[in-house]
Amino acid sequence: MYRKTFHGGVHPKDQKEYSRNASYQSYLPKGDLIFQLNQHIGKPAKPVVKKGDLVLAGQVIAEADGFVSANIVSSCSGKVKAIEKRINVLGTSTQAIVIENDGQYTLAEGIGQETDYHKLTGQEILAKIKAAGIIGLGGAGFPTHVKLAPKNADQIQYVIANGAECEPYITCDDQLMRSKASEIVEGMKIMLKLFPNAEGVILIEENKPEAIEAMQKACSGEAKVRVHAVHTKYPQGGERSIITVVAGKHLKLGMLPADVGCVVDNVATIYAIYRAVCKSEPLMERGFTVSGDGVKNPCNLMVKIGTPFSEVLEAAGGIKEGADVKKLICGGPMMGFAMANLNAAICKNNNALTVMTEDAVETAHEKMTACLRCGRCNQVCPLGLTPQMMAAAAERRNYERYEKKLYGLECIACGSCTYVCPAKRPLMQLFKQTKAEIMAAKRR
Amino acid sequence: MTKLYNVSSSPHVRSKLTTGGVMYDVILALLPASVMGVWCHGIHALLVILVSIATAVLTETVFNYIAKKPNTARDGSAVVTGLLLSLSLPASVPLYIPFAGSLFAILVVKCFFGGLGHNFMNPALAGRCFLLISFSGIVTSFEVDGVSAATPLVDLAAGKVINISEIFLGFSNGVIGSSIAALALGGLYLWVVGGITFEIPVAALVSFSAFIALFGGQGFDPLFILAHLCGGGIVMGALFMATDPVTSPVTSSGQLLFGAAVGILSGLFRVFGSAADSVSYAIIISNLLVPLIDEISIPVPYGNRSQSNEKKGIPKSAITLCIITLIAGACLSGVFEMTKETIEQRQMEANAASYREVCPGAEEFVYDDALSAAVESLGGEVYGTDFGKAYINEIVVGNDASGNVAGYVISATSGDGFDGNITLSVGISADGTINGISFTELNETAGMGMLCGEDAFKSQFSGVNVDKFILNKSGGSSADNEIDSVSGASVSSGAVVNAVNAALDFYAANVK
Repeated sequence: MYRKTFHGGVHPKDQKEYSRNASYQSYLPKGDLIFQLNQHIGKPAKPVVKKGDLVLAGQVIAEADGFVSANIVSSCSGKVKAIEKRINVLGTSTQAIVIENDGQYTLAEGIGQETDYHKLTGQEILAKIKAAGIIGLGGAGFPTHVKLAPKNADQIQYVIANGAECEPYITCDDQLMRSKASEIVEGMKIMLKLFPNAEGVILIEENKPEAIEAMQKACSGEAKVRVHAVHTKYPQGGERSIITVVAGKHLKLGMLPADVGCVVDNVATIYAIYRAVCKSEPLMERGFTVSGDGVKNPCNLMVKIGTPFSEVLEAAGGIKEGADVKKLICGGPMMGFAMANLNAAICKNNNALTVMTEDAVETAHEKMTACLRCGRCNQVCPLGLTPQMMAAAAERRNYERYEKKLYGLECIACGSCTYVCPAKRPLMQLFKQTKAEIMAAKRR
Repeated sequence: MTKLYNVSSSPHVRSKLTTGGVMYDVILALLPASVMGVWCHGIHALLVILVSIATAVLTETVFNYIAKKPNTARDGSAVVTGLLLSLSLPASVPLYIPFAGSLFAILVVKCFFGGLGHNFMNPALAGRCFLLISFSGIVTSFEVDGVSAATPLVDLAAGKVINISEIFLGFSNGVIGSSIAALALGGLYLWVVGGITFEIPVAALVSFSAFIALFGGQGFDPLFILAHLCGGGIVMGALFMATDPVTSPVTSSGQLLFGAAVGILSGLFRVFGSAADSVSYAIIISNLLVPLIDEISIPVPYGNRSQSNEKKGIPKSAITLCIITLIAGACLSGVFEMTKETIEQRQMEANAASYREVCPGAEEFVYDDALSAAVESLGGEVYGTDFGKAYINEIVVGNDASGNVAGYVISATSGDGFDGNITLSVGISADGTINGISFTELNETAGMGMLCGEDAFKSQFSGVNVDKFILNKSGGSSADNEIDSVSGASVSSGAVVNAVNAALDFYAANVK
């Protein structure tokens, strides 16, 4: 069955007009680069360099520590300045390697070497992906070599390339699909080598007709890869929504996509896989959108991992003259993190900087009223949860009810309920907090 | 020091819809009905609407001021309550009625329970029910051009044919917001903008229609069902009252169950209870069930549903709800069937006692086929033209111990009572002398109309042999056929005289 959409969801204005037609420009940072050690889900990487060491671009500077972890690769050449705590996008600080950029970008040996993936075994492909330090570039940052090695590789039915890009403003995946369509299809074919019984599906929202056309063209003649165009609706790009649309299956807490025969990876991740496997290029740069009504030249940049946000904003011309910027968001406005300043550096899974002159949260707070019980939140929840009841239980600290009766821990924090709420209740904040408290109590 | 920007939890964009916007939509949706109400019922209807809204807004503002709470009147919910209340009132009510209703609705039902979002009953309906209980006569009397008239529903109860197209536009007698077309238009708008979901209105109207078809006594007669749907506020109730978000369930399946409860209770109260207020009571009783409905209708998120249910596509809760609804419906009708016989038996006993009182020599009462056929031929229509809204119910023959006719008893009803129907039995002896009258249904105002039931009034009908009585409002009657009115209750007295005269006329035409 060819499904066009999932149940629930919201329609925020997509705001892609700012940057959708801006082709990629490469940006080479001038200043120091900062590599956070915990860019991925799992254990932080272990530094393999020390202060004063000289490093080359593409050299591993921190190694995966354990199975669920990932390498970190320097994206410039220069000298290790420090290994110390630095601020991250959440506003807390994490251990990071700071490299004094020499501006030469001298590549380490062997990088750029062409390889024919047909001659590689599955194990060799996975080893190359692991060495390149690839993690999910869409947001969560799950190490890709782990995701691509499920126990039931034979039972995987669908390998899904996530090109939905449902977050407002962000256009980097759109531009990537338009400009690197054949590379993405090659990357998909590399993945299909690992899953012999699977079909490759490239899922794109209908608000990106050029990307759909480019991808369709690139996979014409490919027997096992097809494009699946879906309605534009948030959160279509969420893993669960994608699996619902493509496979008709639903996940629950604790289940991985592989449990229902699916592997989902962002198109940017698949492009990185292609580069790592075919070109021996580790993950040093990624597509990145700088957009919003407060930025001078909204654009799509190919940026080096580790570039501070302040430099990226400069690359986009800085703040627009006369714009009274209220909010700087790492990512898009639906799920991104608001940053107090731009001192943090870009991690592998950061895809955008959104500069907004209006703080909708502030205005919403002024208009907040008691819950009307209108039930709009229940209608839009893509998981079929009842945010209205969850909020009532959370406010009473009735965690037992929140978890067992209302399945509150299932919440993926997409924010649809909060977006739609006419009473402007800060539902998602409450759910995140409640989840954190319940998880903390469980660990105790 | 560099500038620090705002931080907050995502999402950083929000929909434009606010609480005020939700209320504004409801007001907009009620506008057609309000305009039609004023158009059909005149400028007084507008005054009723304005007084009701102003009272609601002022009450909330003053309460918040006294309670030192932020003023919530600006969010428009008080306007909605005031408007809904006024639309559910007859256009002819004195202006203290909307004032009292709005005051009660906002102060007691809304503010005392914590304001917007915390009331457990629909404030507008609670206000209306408060008025129904406190000012029953006024709130259910409908005047058109100063003449009191029956609502379509009363006509329907009396078995008359009603004009549905008139009701559809709102020209018939009824409350201000009685134009079905305008209400439906508003409801449609509200559904389109997402202000209401289809579940509650559809479930309410369908279950109500089903109930009327099953228990309405006319079987599946589309016109009869349509007439019931058009009258008595079921449309306004289903579209605007039951859908009040604060007092209705939040989940889809819960809303279906709630709508079904509203429909079934409305039907139950309408068929077996008092017609004009059935929907109001049905909804506020259903409001009380909401926490319970919410609790049993919590959906299981998609990923946690068992595989078999997922295949069928029917959530388990929906099946449970259907079963509960069926059981509840069966229980309700079962209770009715059980009590129906008891009620009828009581009624027959009361009638028999009344008959004996006015026909002293009789040992047993029997029906005479010819006379009963004469009653039957009246077809339940108003009897004659000179007796107001009088009806002949039945005639029985009283036989004495030896089987000879001792007299006749005619049961007659007048619909012109100050507070509903007056039903009485007139006893006439075999020689044509009136033995007396006895009431089987008298619900007039205590201390005034109720005095009709006292011997001082009743005895005026006893022991005379006349064809017709005349009401003497000034008192001091001397002639046999003159009846002194009960002081201050000329309406009730007149209704009694009309009913008796109707009975005498029937006697003269069929027995003499």
